[in-house]
Amino acid sequence: MAQLTFREANKRYRRAFIPAMVVYTVAVFGGSFLLKQFETPPTWLSAIVALIMAAPIGVVLWLMWRLTRETDEFTRQQQMSAMAAGGLMTAFFSVVWGFLELYNVVPALWTFLVGPFFFLSYGLVYCFGRRSLVGPGFEK
Amino acid sequence: MINTLRELRAERGWSQGDLADALGVSRQSINALETGKFDPSLPLAFRIARLFGKGIEEIFDDGLGHMKKAAE
Repeated sequence: MAQLTFREANKRYRRAFIPAMVVYTVAVFGGSFLLKQFETPPTWLSAIVALIMAAPIGVVLWLMWRLTRETDEFTRQQQMSAMAAGGLMTAFFSVVWGFLELYNVVPALWTFLVGPFFFLSYGLVYCFGRRSLVGPGFEK
Repeated sequence: MINTLRELRAERGWSQGDLADALGVSRQSINALETGKFDPSLPLAFRIARLFGKGIEEIFDDGLGHMKKAAE
């Protein structure tokens, strides 16, 4: 495929991101509504609903990956640096919380929260710290 | 890396957005290049050089040119 421009790459991202988020919203509300119809929902149905809710997030992660490959090199460097920083912060937070949990200092957290923590830390680094993460390389 | 991107752009009366569109990159990329906060890859440096009809070394200077000249 020919090299996309920055604008084209962003447009392609938004064109797929918006439907994925619509599907996610419908799945979250629709799935919750569906499960509430049962006093004790069958496990297989709960599993299907949970997987359907998670699928659009998988799509969004893939779109983020595709955008970093298609966008211009400066934006790619900023995105990748912010993603790496967000991933490292999430890993560190998980390890610290895990040890505290192991010794009953803090309550157990839902694994579910790891995803939002990653997106939050990645977003904060991208908004406020990306300039310090991207430099001209090795200085003499 | 030092470069003459800002001067070359000004000579043509282009905005950062115009140059960004011509190169297919973001305006932020042009700003980062002009302020020396970001060094372009070789393919992007070639695109810039071709756009201005100049050689890469006429636009970008890694500050080591004087060492080469001294060695010669």
